[in-house]
Amino acid sequence: MSGYDRALSIFSPDGHIFQVEYAMEAVKRGTCTVGVKGTDCVVLGCERRSTLKLQDPRITPSKIAKIDDHVVLSFAGLNADSRILIEKARVEAQSHRLTLEDPVTIEYMTRYIAGIQQKYTQSGGVRPFGVSTLIAGFDGPRDTVPRLYMTEPSGIYSSWSAQTIGRNSKTVREFLEKNYDPKEPPATVDECIKLTVKALLEVVQTGAKNIEITLVKPGDKIEILTVDQINTVVQEIEDEKVAAK
Amino acid sequence: MSDPSSINGGIVLAMAGKDCVAIASDLRLGNQSLGVSNNFEKISNFGHVFLGITGLASDVITLNQVFRYKTNIYKLKEDRPIEPETFTQLVSTTLYEKRFGPYFVGPVVAGINSKTGKPYIAGFDLIGCVDEAKDFIVSGTASDQLFGMCESLYEPNLEADDLFETISQALLNAADRDALSGWGAVVYIIKKDKVIKRNLKMRQD
Amino acid sequence: MDILLGIKVKGSVILATSKAVTRGISVLKADDDKTRQLTPYSIMGFTGEAGDTVHFSEYIQANMKLYSTRENHDLPVGSVASFVRLELAKSLRSRKPFQVNVLIGGVDTKKGDESESVSPHLYQIDYLGTQVELPYAAHGYAGFYTFSLLDHHYRPDMSLDEGLALLKQCIAELEKRMPMDFKGVFVKVVDKDGVRTLEDF
Repeated sequence: MSGYDRALSIFSPDGHIFQVEYAMEAVKRGTCTVGVKGTDCVVLGCERRSTLKLQDPRITPSKIAKIDDHVVLSFAGLNADSRILIEKARVEAQSHRLTLEDPVTIEYMTRYIAGIQQKYTQSGGVRPFGVSTLIAGFDGPRDTVPRLYMTEPSGIYSSWSAQTIGRNSKTVREFLEKNYDPKEPPATVDECIKLTVKALLEVVQTGAKNIEITLVKPGDKIEILTVDQINTVVQEIEDEKVAAK
Repeated sequence: MSDPSSINGGIVLAMAGKDCVAIASDLRLGNQSLGVSNNFEKISNFGHVFLGITGLASDVITLNQVFRYKTNIYKLKEDRPIEPETFTQLVSTTLYEKRFGPYFVGPVVAGINSKTGKPYIAGFDLIGCVDEAKDFIVSGTASDQLFGMCESLYEPNLEADDLFETISQALLNAADRDALSGWGAVVYIIKKDKVIKRNLKMRQD
Repeated sequence: MDILLGIKVKGSVILATSKAVTRGISVLKADDDKTRQLTPYSIMGFTGEAGDTVHFSEYIQANMKLYSTRENHDLPVGSVASFVRLELAKSLRSRKPFQVNVLIGGVDTKKGDESESVSPHLYQIDYLGTQVELPYAAHGYAGFYTFSLLDHHYRPDMSLDEGLALLKQCIAELEKRMPMDFKGVFVKVVDKDGVRTLEDF
């Protein structure tokens, strides 16, 4: 190419930093992740790579990570890169509690992670994180307002009612835009989970066993849904589809 | 008072016999005059090498962990357990690394070289100066008393049973003359391919 | 000097800490809790220099929390104690060592077995990093007044109620012989149900 993608911290004449844009390509190729806010909950869902025949499914790490009692994070992009961000986020969550006596707010954690991602676009000898993240939760154990944020390899962060990143995210986003009314978000936890699974099923063919769902409720309640629980929801959705026909 | 090497109290003693060695220690851990534990073992083994440490209990624990780590790495690299002579050098260099901020300890090594079958005992000062003796090594808050007992009881080339009797009497009678030592004792009799651990009965005051 | 007592009984550990905070000749606080919960099944009681104690124990608390979010399980009590000892031993040879003495009490639960089979542990660690596991333990002057009682009455197979009765004897002795009013004690119990405070001690 033109040579402007050789070193990270160099602009191309028209103002691009190519390495960051390549990182966003890596995100686009990563498995899909969805986040949906309900009236009193947030749900993160993602597509899980099916485990190979000889792989041990028990120790293959989840794509939705707990950062603190009230924060969860999911990502799309390079798996290995995400671990660094998750580790840094967990240490910051505890450090924040220790020094301020308060848990981190979701916005603070988002800003912190986006800050790290930005640093890796402007320092020498490093490459950007090939990762976009969705960060969900509540601001401490007493807050009841659900929060959902996204970060990108460039260090941009933003707040969402529902968002999706990764492979086929365009399809899923279109689905969400059609089926999610910000003025009337899913009223119950079940509805919220259902919408998340529905959105994922737009792009995941293999059904429940390749879907992961984590639910966050006020009061430090983080629930990881079992395959059976997800299966029930998938079945429900399919039954409705049949009924509609 | 507040001399780090005599806050917790305790003694270790090693003796060489005929094709055997013995190492023994008391079991007391105290805080100045107050007895805290009567179950504080000061002797541990790394393969067939035995190490007893007296002095500041915190450093006794730390060094035990350090040598556990170092001998494990040694075994992985060399594919054989460490010999007493080599371990002695390892202890020496480890202590001297902290020359200007030392561990407040008095280590004692005892073992039988698995290749030559030679009994081996050695002692150290707190910065790692090696004292290779062919008879006995003493260490701890009753080291003076131990010296006295050993000088009068020890004789060369004792058989295992007699060595046990000698080391036990030396340790017991030294501990009884020291307020910071005692509260139980343990003796290891080490032969080429057999180790016997015995707990001694002693006065509990 | 603050009071910090611990007794290990069958299936549980009891920790008692004095409620008074004193500076010079004044009592500044009469309901101070000198314990921190480290994991769902372990607590640490502490005495020592004013700022150091709370800072150190909350630092340990944060590290235990970090461990459990990272690894998705809690450390067993023995490992918690080892970690605390190492931190104190490292601190001892630093520019300004923590002057904190602690008792760590807790139970190890067998995974998948929520019945009675928990093994209680009590560790005493001083600011030098001296660690010992004991059936009953104390820091500060409290030990001088209570060890004779404990030596005489303690049995390893005591029930929780018997342990609490023995603790009551110890506290009575301390109230009688200590020159200072330590404003009573908080009593905490760790057993198979986790950590709880005994309100009506």
